[in-house]
Amino acid sequence: MFAYVMRRLAVAIPTLLLLIVFSFLLMHLAPGGPFSQERELPAQVLANLNEKYGLDQPLWRQIISYVWGIIAHFDFGPSFVYPDRTVNQLIAAGFPVTLTYGTLAFVAAVVTGVALGVVAAIWHNSWVDYLAVGISIGAQVLPNFVMAPILVLVFTLWYRMLPGGGWSFNDPSFWVMPVIALSTSYMASIARITRSSMLEVLGSNHIRTARAKGMPEHRVIIRHALKPAMLPVISYLGPVFVSMITGSVVIDIYFSTGGIGKAFVDSALNRDYAVMMGVTILVGALTILFNLVVDILYAWIDPKIRY
Amino acid sequence: MALLELRDLSVRFRTNDGEVHAVNQVNLDVDAGETVGIVGESGSGKSQLSFAIMGLLARNGTASGMVTFDGQQILNTPPKVINKIRAEKIAMIFQDPMTSLNPYMRVADQMAEVLTLHKGMSKKAAVAESARMLDAVRIPDARARVNLYPHEFSGGMRQRVMIAMALLCRPKLLIADEPTTALDVTVQAQIMALLAELQTEFGMAMILITHDLGVVAGSCERVAVMYGGRIRETGPVGPLFTDPAHPYTQGLLAAIPRIDHGDEELAAIPGSPPNMSRPPEGCAFEPRCSYRREECAHLAPPLEDFAKGRARACFAPLNDVRGGRATVHLSEVEPPAGDIDDDDITPAPIADAIIGGAGVAGTSSKVDQP
Repeated sequence: MFAYVMRRLAVAIPTLLLLIVFSFLLMHLAPGGPFSQERELPAQVLANLNEKYGLDQPLWRQIISYVWGIIAHFDFGPSFVYPDRTVNQLIAAGFPVTLTYGTLAFVAAVVTGVALGVVAAIWHNSWVDYLAVGISIGAQVLPNFVMAPILVLVFTLWYRMLPGGGWSFNDPSFWVMPVIALSTSYMASIARITRSSMLEVLGSNHIRTARAKGMPEHRVIIRHALKPAMLPVISYLGPVFVSMITGSVVIDIYFSTGGIGKAFVDSALNRDYAVMMGVTILVGALTILFNLVVDILYAWIDPKIRY
Repeated sequence: MALLELRDLSVRFRTNDGEVHAVNQVNLDVDAGETVGIVGESGSGKSQLSFAIMGLLARNGTASGMVTFDGQQILNTPPKVINKIRAEKIAMIFQDPMTSLNPYMRVADQMAEVLTLHKGMSKKAAVAESARMLDAVRIPDARARVNLYPHEFSGGMRQRVMIAMALLCRPKLLIADEPTTALDVTVQAQIMALLAELQTEFGMAMILITHDLGVVAGSCERVAVMYGGRIRETGPVGPLFTDPAHPYTQGLLAAIPRIDHGDEELAAIPGSPPNMSRPPEGCAFEPRCSYRREECAHLAPPLEDFAKGRARACFAPLNDVRGGRATVHLSEVEPPAGDIDDDDITPAPIADAIIGGAGVAGTSSKVDQP
């Protein structure tokens, strides 16, 4: 197992390098640059800027010096658009925010989604099932850009219970609406996957054996059905967790949270090369990491999987 | 009083295709220590009958009638009541040992939970007892193997694990639902021999559900032949095999390939089993029966005693059926079966032939007329 994890981490390094090279090339392939504006800058100013940020160098040189900066100094470079801030600072400011509401939203989505899916499967084709399916369809068809304004309308404008935006690490009331808005559609997907996989497991032969042992139904479900029913859910959760903790531009804009979701989209619009690369690498690294976590969880659940 | 009494046991399934009449008014007694075989082809309702006894029917199934075990009515009882019977008094082993064990749990945990649940044993004592039981079903190195996962056992070994698990509480009745169907022939024989041995050792009754007549001949005392959800004929295994009194039993026996007849073509019963979501008004076997009479299409024949310990559900006169006209008739329908001569249904040779042909499990001595 340890050797397997080491091997996977070793493979992660070339994977990340490939990711860097491809995104770097794609980014430069797109027309325009960080300093192209509607009103053209004087040629000398542009040349000076390009020189300062190394954009006058050939692409392969830029890539090498960028990668070298990361390896040698963990330096992801300065922001091209906000000259006084580095990418490290931008991520350090935004990522904790998205990590906080993303993790909470993830936990909320998993707990409610799994619970809904399990009860729907247990009471299959009863009103409980229809209610659970109804809730998850409702949550699915309400995208977060619809959920967010509804939440603001209800909790901020009507009931004046929660702040309509902004962020504070000390005041959980700022977290509530981002968490709800981000989690609902994921919760719905988790509920649907859990329900169908639980239904399949409950119809399987080994569950019949467990029932034939005279165990009460709740013990059959907890001891024998839950683990196998979670396998498809877990493979879905790996990438979902990454996309949740790296934020959502909709959440960041609606609730002015200052998370990196917005920073990422802004950087793409502004051609802020360094920030784009920084966030891309962060998402890529997290994706690789959590795919590994999913594989390890799989091995923990299914004894047939051994690395 | 018999250990297990089934009275008018019926099983219905609600499906999109209508109501399926899987089991119809089955009456059957099983005495303590006795082995009763239930034979029938796929879809005859034999497995659903056993699930109904244990309360393990699928969600869309309902059972009606009476199931009395040890004087206690157990059909459709609340979970608390039936859960005290399951595994503790009536244990069950299933057709497919590959999927009937939980693939995500160690054998030790799966077995031990039976004992911690019913006997209140500690986990440690339960695991030790489980290892002893694995030893009793001849799993070598049981003390170490108890800690393995099911996929680390072969098919035959997994069925041994299932048997060991079923016997943990020393049940009075074991229901074996096609215990050897998924196994290859040599392993089948070992498992059947093991079951017979353990049955004597533990003094339990057994219901053996199978479509394999060879298995029945080798290990059962009494047989019930099911078709279309009903028992068609029942009786002691010897007379039933040598002198079948129901056209369907006769057809089944005639369809066994004979090892001593070289490369003759296989005999078959013409037609196909009834669709039980549209149960026929009369006898379900009527369309395939060569003895059919006028009333057969409209009336379902009741199961009636005709000799000591023997009963059949058929309107055709006993002597007609015994006369063996079926073979002649079947040969007209299915030309290749014409090679079968009348000898095939005379008593003596058939018993040996059944064993030889099915090639399974068991000793011919048990088939001899009692």
